[in-house]
Amino acid sequence: MSRSPLDSKVSSNLVFILPGLLIYGSLVFGPIIAALVLSLTSWNGISAPEWIGFGNYISLIADEVFFKSLKNNALLMIFYCAVPVCLGVALAALVWNLKQKEQLALRTLLFLPYIMPTAVLGIIWHWLYNPAFGPFNQALKLVGLGDYALPWLGDFTFVLPAVGVVASWYFFGFCMVLFLSGMQRIDPSLFEAAKVDGAKGIRTFFFITLPLLLPEIRIALLLTIISSIKSFDLIFTMTRGGPANATLVPNIYMYQLGFQLNRYGYAAAVAIVGAILIFLVNYAVHRLVRPNHGGDAS
Amino acid sequence: MSQSSGLNTTAWPMRIILWLFALMTVIPFGLLILTSLKSRPDLLQGAFVLPEYPHFENYVSAWIDGHFNVYFQNSVLVVLPVVTISIALGTLTGFGFAFLSFPFKRTLFVMMTIGMMVPTEAFIIPLYYEMRYTGLINTYAALILPQIAMSIPFATIFMASAMRQLPQEILEAAVLDGAKRSYILRRVILPLMVPAMSTLALFLFIWTWNEFLIPLILVNDDSFRTLPIGMLFFQGRYTVNTPVLTAGAVIVIAPLILAYLIFQRKFISGLTAGATK
Repeated sequence: MSRSPLDSKVSSNLVFILPGLLIYGSLVFGPIIAALVLSLTSWNGISAPEWIGFGNYISLIADEVFFKSLKNNALLMIFYCAVPVCLGVALAALVWNLKQKEQLALRTLLFLPYIMPTAVLGIIWHWLYNPAFGPFNQALKLVGLGDYALPWLGDFTFVLPAVGVVASWYFFGFCMVLFLSGMQRIDPSLFEAAKVDGAKGIRTFFFITLPLLLPEIRIALLLTIISSIKSFDLIFTMTRGGPANATLVPNIYMYQLGFQLNRYGYAAAVAIVGAILIFLVNYAVHRLVRPNHGGDAS
Repeated sequence: MSQSSGLNTTAWPMRIILWLFALMTVIPFGLLILTSLKSRPDLLQGAFVLPEYPHFENYVSAWIDGHFNVYFQNSVLVVLPVVTISIALGTLTGFGFAFLSFPFKRTLFVMMTIGMMVPTEAFIIPLYYEMRYTGLINTYAALILPQIAMSIPFATIFMASAMRQLPQEILEAAVLDGAKRSYILRRVILPLMVPAMSTLALFLFIWTWNEFLIPLILVNDDSFRTLPIGMLFFQGRYTVNTPVLTAGAVIVIAPLILAYLIFQRKFISGLTAGATK
């Protein structure tokens, strides 16, 4: 790479980057390294931490609660990733055919949840789902489905889908807008050609739109999978991981272990496993979902 | 925005489906506003029944008795410095990564991207103890400093990639004119960076306004709580008073909706483009 005309000697270059790097290093990167080290110890937050090597990680392998949290997380991915991405692609293909004004109105409305604080959305949905006076069950009763008016967030079977639906509701509009912006990149003459060849809407969708949207699909998958592993706010405000760990995910487990049970070393190990999962997903999505026409979107 | 695919023939059933989804997205917010204007007896009439007249006093009691005035003020006091300082530091560091040479540049860049990927939950325990040992728990600094640090990787990479797109000739001409680097940064580069910086400001505003974990862990005094976390504790205290709870929720999301309606295009293009970075 050619040297920028603005470059100078190192000592005077450092003035520009040091303030940012110092605060980042001391409050983010340093704590990340500290969490790695902490995960190799047993520490109750008061006495000196005791070095136990990979002891915490070995305990994790035999920890049924931890596996439950991983399983819940895997199930939640259906709602965090699969539903919004599929719905997003389908809706984008439909919205694409509308007039500009209507397109804009739908984009604006469907994107709305994505800018909201998930913690507050969790509190709002907690109220919507309220078994006695929540609007959700009242609506069911109004349309004659009163038998299905369950205590959603207290039901062992339905609590996970009930929380998951909120995540789908949060993400699908965002996915749709992401795909719409991808479709603007596609050469309109391709659609024209398909039309001339007599291709029907559905064929055009599967043979032109979908393959060319792969870069955006990859981004959407990456983002939603990572969000599902990161999920904390929404679940914390809706169920705190309950009832009976039915919605427990690794981050909630980390919170309980650390800030409620004072098992900080073990909690750090849970958090580190979550971070490693994110790196793995990042790698896997980049490797597996390869766009066949160059990755120009990313 | 480009033209549609030329198949302007989306059938009515399809359009109805689309608008049903739009309705599904908005209904929770509509119910929220509706309920925030009801009295408690109104509530017993059913969730979808209009109140006889709007009860704005719910907002007053959320604002004053519910401490939303304190939470709102704290949110503003945290968001403003986080956004401005993060942009300033991100511009400086981004300038460094875009144009300057220094040792371990690649390693430092990788360290930044790691910080962007690792969730806050992964390092919150050491961060909590760091704040405790420095005596910053229950101060504004505990809310502001870590959130600046968390914003720096994105701000740096965002600003660096915006600066790399500047035409090389402008910078070369400025150097040939004998201008100092700090002068070039302030007078030549910064004016051209205004669009990028305003997009970045929008991102940082939403992230900081919506942040939940940092205030949950690093602050436990009610007088330092920001809106999302204040709302959680408010729910714990007043769980029966639904109208006031929903009025509180409206107070939290109103600034976001307002900003969204004003900067709508920038929001959508910025957030989707930001996702692709």
